[in-house]
Amino acid sequence: MSTVAEGTSAPSRKRTKWDEEDHENEAIRRRQQALSRQLRSLRKPRMTDVTSVPKGTSLSRSPIRDAYSIFVPPRAHHPPIQPSRSVYCYERLNQIEEGSYGVVFRARDKETGDIVALKKLKLEEEKHGFPITALREINALMSCRHENVVHIREVVVGDTLTQVFVVMDFIEHDLKTLLTLMPAPFLQSEIKTLMLQLLSAVAHCHANWILHRDLKTSNLLMNNRGTIKVADFGLARRYGDPIGVGGLTQLVVTLWYRAPEILLGATNYSTAVDMWSVGCIFAELLLKEPLFQAKGEIELLSMIFKLLGPPTSATWPDYCTLPLAKTIAISPPHAHQFRQRFPHMTALGLDLLTSLLTYDPQQRISAEEALHHPYFSESPLPKHPDLFASFPSAAAGEKRKKPFDSPSAPLRAADRIFAETELP
Amino acid sequence: MTPTLVPLATHSQIARTPSGEDGLPQELEEDLRAFGCKLIHQAGILLNQKQVAVATAQILFQRFWFVTSLKQFSIGDISMGALYLASKLEECPIRMRDLINVYDLLLQRNSHELSLHSSPPPSSPSHRPQPTHVPGHNLVMASPAAPAPSPSNGKTKFKYTPMAYFSDAFYNLKDALVVAEMQILKRLGFNMLVVLPYGTLINYLRLLGLTNHKEACGKAWGYLNDALQTPVYTIYAVPTIVSAAILLATRHLGISLPSTPPNSWWDLFDASWEDVWTVCGHIMRLYRDRTLEERLEVMRMVNKKEVRKWLEENNSL
Repeated sequence: MSTVAEGTSAPSRKRTKWDEEDHENEAIRRRQQALSRQLRSLRKPRMTDVTSVPKGTSLSRSPIRDAYSIFVPPRAHHPPIQPSRSVYCYERLNQIEEGSYGVVFRARDKETGDIVALKKLKLEEEKHGFPITALREINALMSCRHENVVHIREVVVGDTLTQVFVVMDFIEHDLKTLLTLMPAPFLQSEIKTLMLQLLSAVAHCHANWILHRDLKTSNLLMNNRGTIKVADFGLARRYGDPIGVGGLTQLVVTLWYRAPEILLGATNYSTAVDMWSVGCIFAELLLKEPLFQAKGEIELLSMIFKLLGPPTSATWPDYCTLPLAKTIAISPPHAHQFRQRFPHMTALGLDLLTSLLTYDPQQRISAEEALHHPYFSESPLPKHPDLFASFPSAAAGEKRKKPFDSPSAPLRAADRIFAETELP
Repeated sequence: MTPTLVPLATHSQIARTPSGEDGLPQELEEDLRAFGCKLIHQAGILLNQKQVAVATAQILFQRFWFVTSLKQFSIGDISMGALYLASKLEECPIRMRDLINVYDLLLQRNSHELSLHSSPPPSSPSHRPQPTHVPGHNLVMASPAAPAPSPSNGKTKFKYTPMAYFSDAFYNLKDALVVAEMQILKRLGFNMLVVLPYGTLINYLRLLGLTNHKEACGKAWGYLNDALQTPVYTIYAVPTIVSAAILLATRHLGISLPSTPPNSWWDLFDASWEDVWTVCGHIMRLYRDRTLEERLEVMRMVNKKEVRKWLEENNSL
């Protein structure tokens, strides 16, 4: 076996866990070896007692360990303990937006020239030290590194202890502005690509025990290469069992994307609240406008009841146990109206939408399940991200060209003379 | 799924710690760090805080001293800040006032303990208090600040006087706490990712068929907790540390596992023998007998001023 041959040629003494040079190639090789080793070990009977390990299998492995399991990456892959750099490593370009959480700037890394987004955290008048919400946001971003989650580069500090900036990759668009500005809605094939990306990001966050709790189109950034990135983890938090002191707050998720169980006062909600938001986003991509544009919580509930049909003991068994369930009057039962609202959807597409917009959080589809929904394998297939159109970026201060800005036809000579003579 | 990659100290950070560069001997630095971790542990117990928060705090505390000298910040303040921060990270935040009260108690007890020994200069080594620790168990009661059997004939029993609600002492500690929390964040680059070893230990014990061996499980668990007072969690990945805890526990109990080079059980967990052995060394060094003077010295240096004084006295020679 090649592993053994390579293992004996490379003495372990040389490759201590400290060496840091050219681990890039090493890592790839090790990972491949680790995978092949894993495959082999899958074929082996599971070891419960070490003394019963068959001798052959241990001999087949080189005594000099050179393949790391993918679960134990070499030490050199761990980041070092590194203090925050100064914000003066960046040159400020323009302000992108301002929210309740702070201001976002576009900036340039003075060393590398990379364009980044700097988010300044609001830290004045903090009574409890560094705000737990900001901690959750930074921690969520750091622990959820994924192709479709906005990449956090570092956290830099200003002169005083109240100036903290989160440095992220700059992404040209957010899906909300894009949807309102683009002349035609996304194609089915494009929607599938976007949904797959969104679902894999959400699945990754959930696998890392992070709830996003504010998924909406304006928090989905999109670059000019057809990739979307989930951003703004300002409301994100870790979940688990036990939930933690005080349970979970109901003051989460922008109203239009808020799941019915939060509206009805549940304090033990879980990953399903994000899936409801994903359903709202899916519908918004199809409709090119938000699905539930309600002004208040009661109106939102009645809009949900109208589209899904009022909840029944079959569609939502735990409905009655929710704190606010008794205060809501349920309209007489009627069938759901998805077909009327989405007349051009395929049956499978509609099935995914109804699985996402399901009353009972227990029955609502998970991100992992949704990724394997047959909707994504029926025609038209998801479009390759590289084939997406690109758009001028509002955040970077680029202007959209007027759609009909072709040069005007030459004026007739007679008209020109006429025009000139008209002048005083 | 790829595992979370927690920050680990680099080779040069380990070889030359900031405190070491300032002239603090390695052994004293280790003892001071361990003392800070014990303070976190004690405060955690008094606050009824969850062990996950305590362990996270201890790991963050140890990381801090790879980028900061003990001359710059007091272990008292930083350990308090680490516990406050870790409690938020683990979603079990504590009230500032509760934490400050508990730290006030711990620090008062510390200075009381010191005052007992300072009046008569430490004379004969005959009445050195015996270390009460049991290897493999929580060391919290064996720490120097615990009410150790007092060598003096009980002349003054420690009596805690709580601070007034609006006292200066409170506001001073509060300011120190806010600064400490922010400094930890800043100096660790806001990377607060921590992986605790407990789940891994259970899996490994299961794989080794040791889950029915109550004593082995308990001992290994205890060694993992004791290791929190050493810097190993900031130097090695969790599998190596867990392997070391299992090694210590099984050796202690005389349980034999396949350990001859081609078939070594730690290979299953991608731990190298040298690393496992080094971690064992770190843990075992905790149980070394300290003389009374050594222990008092560490207790005194809970404050950075005393660290500076020590450095001036010892480095000018």
